Amino acid sequence: MTPRVAVLFGFGINCDHETKAVFELVGATADRLHVNLLISGDERLEDYDILAVPGGFSFGDHLGSGRLLGNRMRFAMREALRNFVDAGKPIIGICNGFQVLVKTGLLPGPEAGTSPDFLQRGSLTLNDSGRYEDRWVTLEFDPESPCIWTKGMTRMECPVRHGEGKYVMPTAEDLDRLNANNQLTVRYVDPSTPLGSGMTDEALPYPISPNGSMRNIAGICDASGLVFGLMPHPEAIYARWLHPMHTRHDSDDSSGALDGWEGEGLQLFRNAVEYVKQRS
Amino acid sequence: MRDVRGDVVRRQLKADHGVTVANVRSICGYLISGETSSDAIAERVDDLFADPIIEIGAANTAMLTTNTFHESPDTVITVGFKPGVTDNPGKAATDGFLTLFPSDGEAKIATYITYVFYGLPVDCDATWLAGTLHNNLIERALVADRTACGSQAWPELMFPTPPEQKFIEPQSVNLECDDATLEEISTSGLLALNLNEMHAIQAHYRNEEVRQHRTAMGIPPNAPTDVELECLAQTWSEHCKHKIFASRIHHVDHETGEDTVVDSLFKTHIMKPTHDMQKDVDWLLSVFHDNSGVIAWDDKWSVCMKAETHNSPSALDPYGGAMTGIVGVNRDILGTGLGARPIANTDVFCFGPPNWEGQLPDNLFHPSRVLRGVHAGVRVGGNESGIPTVNGAIVFDDRYIGKPLVYCGTVGIMPRHLPDGRPSHVKTPVAGDIVYMVGGRVGYDGIHGATFSSLELTEESPSSAVQIGDPITQKKMLDMVLEARDAGLITCITDNGAGGLSSSIGEMAEYTNGCEIDLAKVPLKQAGLSPWEILVSESQERMTIAVKPEDQAAFERLADLHEVEATAVATFTSTGMFHVRYDEATVAYLPIEFLHEGVPQLQLESEWRPPELPPFVPPAEANHSELLESMLQRPNIASKETWVRQYDHEVIAQTAIKPFVGVHRDGPGDAGVIAPIHGDPHGLVISCGIAPRYSDIDAGAMAAASIDEAVRNAVCVGLDVDKMAGLDNFCWPDPIESVKTPDGRFKLAQLVRANRELERVCRAYRLPCVSGKDSMKNDYGTGPEKISIPPTLLFSLFGDHPDVRKSATSDFKFPGDKIYLVGESKQELGASELAFMMTEDGRATGVGGHVPLLPNPEQNLSTYRALSQSIRAGLVRTAHDCSEGGLAVALAEMCIGGRMGALVDIDGTGTGDVWGRLWGESLGRIVVAVPPEHERAFLSAMTGHPTTVLGTVTATTDLVINDGDDALVKADVEAMASVWKGTLDLTGGVI
Repeated sequence: MTPRVAVLFGFGINCDHETKAVFELVGATADRLHVNLLISGDERLEDYDILAVPGGFSFGDHLGSGRLLGNRMRFAMREALRNFVDAGKPIIGICNGFQVLVKTGLLPGPEAGTSPDFLQRGSLTLNDSGRYEDRWVTLEFDPESPCIWTKGMTRMECPVRHGEGKYVMPTAEDLDRLNANNQLTVRYVDPSTPLGSGMTDEALPYPISPNGSMRNIAGICDASGLVFGLMPHPEAIYARWLHPMHTRHDSDDSSGALDGWEGEGLQLFRNAVEYVKQRS
Repeated sequence: MRDVRGDVVRRQLKADHGVTVANVRSICGYLISGETSSDAIAERVDDLFADPIIEIGAANTAMLTTNTFHESPDTVITVGFKPGVTDNPGKAATDGFLTLFPSDGEAKIATYITYVFYGLPVDCDATWLAGTLHNNLIERALVADRTACGSQAWPELMFPTPPEQKFIEPQSVNLECDDATLEEISTSGLLALNLNEMHAIQAHYRNEEVRQHRTAMGIPPNAPTDVELECLAQTWSEHCKHKIFASRIHHVDHETGEDTVVDSLFKTHIMKPTHDMQKDVDWLLSVFHDNSGVIAWDDKWSVCMKAETHNSPSALDPYGGAMTGIVGVNRDILGTGLGARPIANTDVFCFGPPNWEGQLPDNLFHPSRVLRGVHAGVRVGGNESGIPTVNGAIVFDDRYIGKPLVYCGTVGIMPRHLPDGRPSHVKTPVAGDIVYMVGGRVGYDGIHGATFSSLELTEESPSSAVQIGDPITQKKMLDMVLEARDAGLITCITDNGAGGLSSSIGEMAEYTNGCEIDLAKVPLKQAGLSPWEILVSESQERMTIAVKPEDQAAFERLADLHEVEATAVATFTSTGMFHVRYDEATVAYLPIEFLHEGVPQLQLESEWRPPELPPFVPPAEANHSELLESMLQRPNIASKETWVRQYDHEVIAQTAIKPFVGVHRDGPGDAGVIAPIHGDPHGLVISCGIAPRYSDIDAGAMAAASIDEAVRNAVCVGLDVDKMAGLDNFCWPDPIESVKTPDGRFKLAQLVRANRELERVCRAYRLPCVSGKDSMKNDYGTGPEKISIPPTLLFSLFGDHPDVRKSATSDFKFPGDKIYLVGESKQELGASELAFMMTEDGRATGVGGHVPLLPNPEQNLSTYRALSQSIRAGLVRTAHDCSEGGLAVALAEMCIGGRMGALVDIDGTGTGDVWGRLWGESLGRIVVAVPPEHERAFLSAMTGHPTTVLGTVTATTDLVINDGDDALVKADVEAMASVWKGTLDLTGGVI
């Protein structure tokens, strides 16, 4: 089967084209779907296997990033979203999409084995710098995370492009609880550390941590590992010619996608597509 | 939780004014006008207005009285918008409110922000402080000083209700009067029409045939209505009709004795060369007549580009002016052909020095504030629209204090053919098509923008000319329009920019030769606008789109889905008339031909005498290492990273060469390269060139240098020089001789020379100009106080890159790579950055002398072709344009990008002395680095082109430059990076 991906757009989402493209590069079919088509019932979320909420500036980030789109989804798509999650279908939110999933309460979500309750448990707030910035960061993935999106991924460089990417929760215990379940899936790390040993709870300095996130968190998943959100943009490194240093290296290996020019970010989308294929 | 909004204010007070404040807190306030009870709202505060995790919310309470603020502050300042000013957070809040309270359909929300200051220095005046936090043209501020804070008298803003607009029935304006009265009518009405033009209008209404037609229509036969006069003023404005570029110029050159007449600079020097080149290539699809120029990029896609300026609005309100600049030019792309998708922005700014300590004329902002505001405007406008900013520049000169230049450009892409087979670059309206206004509503904001920008800035400049853009409303419209295009629903589309509906429908009506508009149908932001105001208002975020009658239902369904307002307001006809009604009453009835062709040609005088400037004479001895350190801190040379990094430069996942390159991503990118089709490395190069200070010596040389710089920048990344197109954006001081402008003849001669050089160089480079714009009144004040900007041409370029994987960047990459100079250094230090620096600090006495020239552009093009082919062949992976600050600065930047050293000898690099070869800004030069294994092939490819070995990239931390046996420069790379990056970092850090 060919997994079908619903890529949301409308109201200021703006990474919908590339998000659709990366899913298609790894063998899915993807539709850009206006949020209102799902709310009106003209399109049904249940007809899709994967839901992607791309980056952008929904409603201009006013009243807090992701909040107004999150509200529309929380109030108008509640049942459809709950059923989607209960059916064990993967969801990803990237950048503004991550903010939306956090504000709807889908991330980090309730304890394992429970349906979504749409309670907000964490937040994404203004970067400590006070500035929106586009800069490349180094990420490391928790190999023990239940996240189905990040299986086998270790370290990756990609850009962050946000003004409100600082992940916070009310108490240290909240973070401990997520950590115990390996839900702090991906973090900003110092690129000079040895591979696999970059993750730390100690606050890393700007700009290694671009926003001052608690425990350097870049992305988290829900207890099931199916719902995943992150501030950095893996789709922005779908091809190596998008890496800032690509002019230093010709490809000497033409295997893989894009004649050997596949970028590190593409695997994340392939993981979800393969997961859906194997489940069906 | 940290209060970052407060922190930003605290840091900027320190960075801009040296004021240290212990702590600043912020409160976001919402004023709600509606039917919902305050108790009901209070229950939902955490669902909408406050984030329960990070914020504290309350309803019907001044937050300052809650126990969140236990300590008494020193000062409290509340800032909100003035009535009628676009409040984007308020609009979003209203939308969110309706999600929670759908029955309260008429609810409206206005926002404000309160800053609470603790530990404020005692001598810090609260009113002054409020002045740094708001622009009183568009915002209001309430202040509680120490005394007020002590008695807990907190500032309280009321809901901003716009003043009632009085609907005025169309009046007829009697033009049967003497010349002085005619001029008075123009001046007092802000019409910006000169006496000749008033006479032409007067003559129209004396025409017997015209009078008969008007009588038949039931409209006053002998005189224009106010609607007609306003419509003519907009359509005939300098802004819309480019009257100076179309004028007949008597040009006298006292240097050569030439005495000649130029009949339209535009037709002679810009249009004709492009049309000649169009005969030789098959890829110039649409030039000059549409909202942007279109070229075929491959079999499936075409690309287009447009650049605009938004100088006058940005002078009054830097934030709003710049934002409407960028979202406005996005609409030019959306309005090209049947609709193109904007995929890349460029931003080029010219400001006064950010560290200016001299006098400021009345009503002008300090350059650092202009920089902050303009930057924030294009940042928000570009980022929220999801369009990456891939290229740009910031230029500084004292004279831009009088008028900042804000150039905004956008690149678009569209399929060569739509699914229904129509070529997408051709508009296809027919009489009977229904004309929709789509997007935002019409308001009092934005009345008289076009005519205002055709006048010089004065203290009385109107605030209604200032608007704030609404990128999300525009984004929704953009999404909707592109779907409508692909569904084949659009027959014609254009932007509502300058001149509003009068221009947009008026211009489109030329296709079918007529239209009939009903202004009563136009949705308004507030009731009471008079017909002429509705017709000419430039309210933002609107497109005018024509649809076949049978497609109306589908079109309106699509608008509903996207929550975009679309209203049928007109019909195309073939009557030859621009016919405007308000309900049943005809309020304007103008022949299309008179509207568009009736403006009389200006007759202007131009006189060239070369300016006499004391020449730049460098001192006999100098420490070039110290000079390099100083040069790297010059605002014109220093890194713009902290500013540019705040633009999203890689949304759409296509940007293959970004504004920053190298190991720490902080070396300068020469040009932007994008690969817009996902999965395909076929690329497009976007670059620019600007060299305004060369105008001090010769505006012709300035123009040539701008074009050469744009081409050179693009060559550095691997442009195919055989497929490139350009945009010319002229910003000039008023070049019409008058009492206000006694040196108008000279300024016009500068324009003539710039145009002649533009033609000469573009023909030699086979570089067609496909679109352009001019802004001709960039002056402030009159008399001895008058400030005129240096004549400035921004030349933007877009061109083909067959494979982005074969690109080059400016950073040095591998120790051992050989460094070469392509091109020759001459003794050209006139108007150079070094000359300005040494003259400003007293080490020299003038900036005159030999300005860089381009004597043999055909040879340059041939060299560029050879070099870019070498880049695309993979022989060269490092290339950097050599311009401001000459070879020394270029090498320093390449070392910084790669964080490695270089050992260089400039002996033999040209005819100049050591100053000329190290610091001169001769055109046509590019520094490259070549891996040893490719050196032979590179040299073979460059046979016949000036190519001189400079030295080697080294695994050291020093840039070392010698001239034969003479040691000139030894500079530590990290130290250079530190000073180069520090100058313009006005962020105040992150602490």
